[in-house]
Amino acid sequence: MATDARKKEILKGLYDAVVDFDEDKVVELSNAVLAEDVDAYEAIMDGLAAGMEHVGDLYANQEYFVPEVLMCSDALYAGLDILRPHLSGKEADVKGQVVIGTVEGDVHDIGKNLVKMMFDVAGFEVHDLGRDVKLEKFVEEQMKTDSEIVALSALMTTSMLAMPKVIEMIKARNPDAMIMVGGAPISQEVADNYGADGYAPNAANAVQEAIQMISRLREMGKA
Amino acid sequence: MAEQPQPRQETMSPGERMGAILMRQRPDRVPFMPFIFGYCARNVGYPIARVYDDPEKSFWAQMWTAEMFGYDGGAMYAYASMGGWEFGGEIKMPVSEWEQAPIVAKFPAETPEAVDALEIPDVETAGCYPIALEFNKIQQQFGMPIMVMAFGCFTPAGNIAEVDKLCRWMMKQPDVAHKLLRKCTDFSKKVVDYYVEHFPNYPMMAFTGEASAANQIISPKQFEEFVLPYQKEIHDHILASGIRNIFCHICGEQNLNLKYWAQMEYGDPGILSFGHEVDLSTAIEYFGDKHAIAGNVEPQIIQNGTNQQVYELCKAAIDKAKMAPSGYLLMAGCEVPVQAPPYNIYVMKKAVMEHGFYD
Repeated sequence: MATDARKKEILKGLYDAVVDFDEDKVVELSNAVLAEDVDAYEAIMDGLAAGMEHVGDLYANQEYFVPEVLMCSDALYAGLDILRPHLSGKEADVKGQVVIGTVEGDVHDIGKNLVKMMFDVAGFEVHDLGRDVKLEKFVEEQMKTDSEIVALSALMTTSMLAMPKVIEMIKARNPDAMIMVGGAPISQEVADNYGADGYAPNAANAVQEAIQMISRLREMGKA
Repeated sequence: MAEQPQPRQETMSPGERMGAILMRQRPDRVPFMPFIFGYCARNVGYPIARVYDDPEKSFWAQMWTAEMFGYDGGAMYAYASMGGWEFGGEIKMPVSEWEQAPIVAKFPAETPEAVDALEIPDVETAGCYPIALEFNKIQQQFGMPIMVMAFGCFTPAGNIAEVDKLCRWMMKQPDVAHKLLRKCTDFSKKVVDYYVEHFPNYPMMAFTGEASAANQIISPKQFEEFVLPYQKEIHDHILASGIRNIFCHICGEQNLNLKYWAQMEYGDPGILSFGHEVDLSTAIEYFGDKHAIAGNVEPQIIQNGTNQQVYELCKAAIDKAKMAPSGYLLMAGCEVPVQAPPYNIYVMKKAVMEHGFYD
């Protein structure tokens, strides 16, 4: 059993290793978490996730760019792969479910993948449909998984026009599904015009927005 | 009530107007080149793919659309997803209502070993180049200058390996990234050499552009290492080959990269176009003394905005950049979306006619 000091050292180490995109160090420390009986949930939330949150700030401040964030993401997943199987039942409960994808006609998925990662680390169950996703597929997957959130991404000005269509299709089948949109040409005004329930200018905001949307659903007694 | 500006009489043809820009002379008014491809096919009743896969239909769709809206500049063959098809992958032409340009369907080199194995293709058989060459021959038949699609480096590399893989190589295996960028650069030079050899003494301008190197993806430091030397080499080669002018589309958020773009040559003069993310005053500050500036009307507004919003954006752009020392061209910040309302394109011309004349 690790002492408090050792536990702090490990958590800080995980945090730093994610920020420094040191995948080997993350693996080493994640194994130490298990070997020294540190709580896996704490290691994820206060080590890996906290580190990734800082990475989000660095990206927002243009200190990190996509290549660095991808490296941090790889380090993060290396730790999650080791620690997640060791979460206890309650801790393993998901915060919510999200269907995510880049809409039909658009193959740009870097932004979508970053948002997916943030949902992963925040404890959501993510159903990733990939890119160039047929609109019907979003509807089917939402119904099949009963996900509270559908997250739509688009980079192109033409493919963004698929968003109001898919929002209409999903709402027609399930008016309670919350839909969020994002991507370079999207703004809050565009999201409002499209009838989206949420909009996030970046990956970190997407998770906050999703949590707020689920809270709204729960307040309405629908989740 | 403010007096309504009146359209003025044009005294130059589109060719004379563009010629004036390239001679560093003031044209009668700001030239209007919308930067428009797939829209033209849709405008004349063709599937969008025809502008990319059928040289003759592409040429005429663009010429007829130019005639209809009265904009300057005729036709050119280009799209952003170049690289994958040319180096042995597969391209998917736009077919659904949500697509506007070809996209890479199969990346030809997703591993370092595959990058090693890539061979510099023959221009005559590489991907879209046979189509582009047919298109250029039609331009030649009508005595129009040829726009040489000079391939590029970073964006094509991302279309060969996929952008996220390229980004990871930049961080973990920079030698692989450099190897791929070298092959793209060598192919670009080969393309330029081919055109110079096969269209001898014919008026040509080279088209270069860079979308994936925007600061939405890479840092200025990464631009300095992975883009600047290769893009510079391509531009130097174009100019050394005798092509006098480069039209370079600096796409997206590139503010942190401008100091590096300013280290490259663009000809005498070049034409540099910018997205809405780069303010035209900033662009003029960096490049305006030596080169004509083009841009930067936001495509999303051209597609989704009201005609008044589009008009106001164009008027603001003209007011800001009209007096740029080496000239200014009104242009969309990137390709005009295929589903833009026709009236929004009309008002772009209207803004030029009412605010773009030089006294």
